[in-house]
Amino acid sequence: MNALADIAIKLLRQREVGLVLLILLVTAIVSLVDPGFLDDRNLKDILVRSAPTVIVACGVMLVVVTAEIDISVGSLMALLAALMGLMISHNEWQLSMWIGIPTVLLCGTLIGLLTGALVTLGNVPSIIVTLGLLTAIRGATTLLMGGENIDGLPDELQTLSKVGPAGMPLGVWTAVAVLIVTQIIITHTPLGRRLFALGSSDYSARMTGLSATRLKLFAFAYTGFLTALATVVDVPRLPKIESGIGSGFELLVVTCVVVGGVSIAGGRGRLGGVVLSVILLTMVRPVLTFLDVGEAGEKWTKAIQGLFILIAVITDTVVSRSRRGGARNTSSRGTQVAVPRDATGGPAA
Amino acid sequence: MKQNLMQRSLNSQECRTNRSASESSPLPLREMDGTVATINRWLSRTIGRALAVFIVVACLSDCSGETDNDSGAASPGGGSEKLTICLLPKIKGIAYFTSCAEGAQAAADELGNVELIYDGPTDGDPKKQAEMIEQWTVDGVDVICVAPNAPDVVANAMREAQDLGVIVLTWDADGVENARSFFVNQATAQSIGQGMVDAMVKDLGGPDVEGDVVIVSADATSANQNAWIDVMKPALEKTKLNLVTIKYPGENASAALADAQDVIKKYPNLKGIFGISSVSFPGAAEAVEQMGKSGEILVTGLSTPNEMKRFVENGTVKSVILWNTIDLGYLTILAAESLAKGELKPGDTTFQAGRLGEKPIEGDNILLGDILVFTAENIDEYDF
Repeated sequence: MNALADIAIKLLRQREVGLVLLILLVTAIVSLVDPGFLDDRNLKDILVRSAPTVIVACGVMLVVVTAEIDISVGSLMALLAALMGLMISHNEWQLSMWIGIPTVLLCGTLIGLLTGALVTLGNVPSIIVTLGLLTAIRGATTLLMGGENIDGLPDELQTLSKVGPAGMPLGVWTAVAVLIVTQIIITHTPLGRRLFALGSSDYSARMTGLSATRLKLFAFAYTGFLTALATVVDVPRLPKIESGIGSGFELLVVTCVVVGGVSIAGGRGRLGGVVLSVILLTMVRPVLTFLDVGEAGEKWTKAIQGLFILIAVITDTVVSRSRRGGARNTSSRGTQVAVPRDATGGPAA
Repeated sequence: MKQNLMQRSLNSQECRTNRSASESSPLPLREMDGTVATINRWLSRTIGRALAVFIVVACLSDCSGETDNDSGAASPGGGSEKLTICLLPKIKGIAYFTSCAEGAQAAADELGNVELIYDGPTDGDPKKQAEMIEQWTVDGVDVICVAPNAPDVVANAMREAQDLGVIVLTWDADGVENARSFFVNQATAQSIGQGMVDAMVKDLGGPDVEGDVVIVSADATSANQNAWIDVMKPALEKTKLNLVTIKYPGENASAALADAQDVIKKYPNLKGIFGISSVSFPGAAEAVEQMGKSGEILVTGLSTPNEMKRFVENGTVKSVILWNTIDLGYLTILAAESLAKGELKPGDTTFQAGRLGEKPIEGDNILLGDILVFTAENIDEYDF
């Protein structure tokens, strides 16, 4: 009996298991109310909407794993969207897609690199740097767009962003590719192991000769690049480019990363949890529509999203506390933990 | 009055020569070091202001002594005196405000005694707006109509202008309460809410059409949208359309698109979507188009014509609602002239607005209230 309970508790402690159960539970409830929720079209829509968040969350996850944070991706997305629109829209500069898109990807990477440089070389806490950039980049976007919206992106790009191979748009395929690449980086390259080692214990990592600067620069630049990628594949799906694009996106991404079980203190987390939490949080809006919560209920959308963050952060704290109180060896459950956090004597959550 | 005007214009001429002297000789100015240039600019501005204060004070004391003469001189010669009215848009050079200026010019032509100055910052910088107000005040214009980009930033300049005897009113967007006499309010919630419901009923084929409709708003806290919803709900109850839900995607294009897609899937009997924010209107239209429901589900809302032209052309949207921008400029100039002549006073409840007829005044808001509906027939005539 005790053994069974132990197994159950251990399973539940796996963030992925909890998230899958939650997704299934929510889906079951909504489908009982309205079977239309299980319609192909709806499931596809949920995947399509999850795609940009998954893409960017892969980068932000690596940033969080190194015990830093990036809350500027929403504004960055708007800036890159404006840049892309200006370059390749047939109402604007009319550059070729093959010049415009690589430029956007390059700009995204460079801005990510700059963010990383401010954090590491400038020695400013990343929350301050990216909070500043969040506002500054949004301001730059407004200036760049001069109060006008941009439409008229190339038709090929618009079509690809809506329907692609096998009925799935470009965004979903890109998200799958990014997931595979990121998973390979995490599990199969020294780079991935070093990122986790750095997040687990900055001190030990430095002692073993790892360059914190270079690792963090990579994480921020990768996030910048992925934000650009998400912009290119997802923004053409929208009716027009306006300066408000991506507002609140940075918080959604960070929420997904945290709800997905990536420790804000660094060094711990798995991609699977992040993907599942993206899907769960993307489901909130359609679920409320299909539950027909009514006018008063609609006003609760944001509160419900907030509740998810609270639950995630609280469970994160509780789980790590119980681990600290229990046997040390349970820390091996996070497969990527190179050095147990507690070794540094720092707070676990 | 004439004497005063002459003195004021004399003063403004002095300032003009002052300024043009420094402007026409940019080389020596550039050679000067920054401090000297700044002091020079400060001096010319301060002297200008001091002169303006002095002369206005002189005018005021004059006026009190010559009230009888004044009224006697002003009424017969009312048409011959040119009033200088400045119209300050949020941004100069964008089509929206250009069309307002068109109506303003029409009013000036109609009145005959108005010299209209239409100018504003091309980048929408409120600090430049404030500088322009200061400049016009020094120039001694009669009325300044401001569409403030940031009410707090321009408030001081507006108060200063008022203190120096210039009539200040706001249009298109209101300013700080005590910094202006009237606000020419283009959009009453009643006319917009009712206008959208009327357009939807008409586009769907008349008052007998039954079916579901949805409102996609901005945030649950957006004041404008909520005011329109309060009008739309009772208006919809009088029709056979059934309002099934209201969505609040915020000012977020992705969420607006997603919400519209979801309501289309959820309500099979959906006939129309009201997209009542600048983000949710195109978002809803995009959703209908992507799901291949153009023509089956109609979308309507509030927007400028250029933003929605694409959707009007492909039949997803039949009517785009906006207040009448041309009439807004027209009404503003009429009100400005009337205020300058003392015919329009605080406390009035109606205003006779030329070809627009009688317009109501609520408190210190002059209400335009007329809406303009852009359809496939007329949308190409407007370029903003």
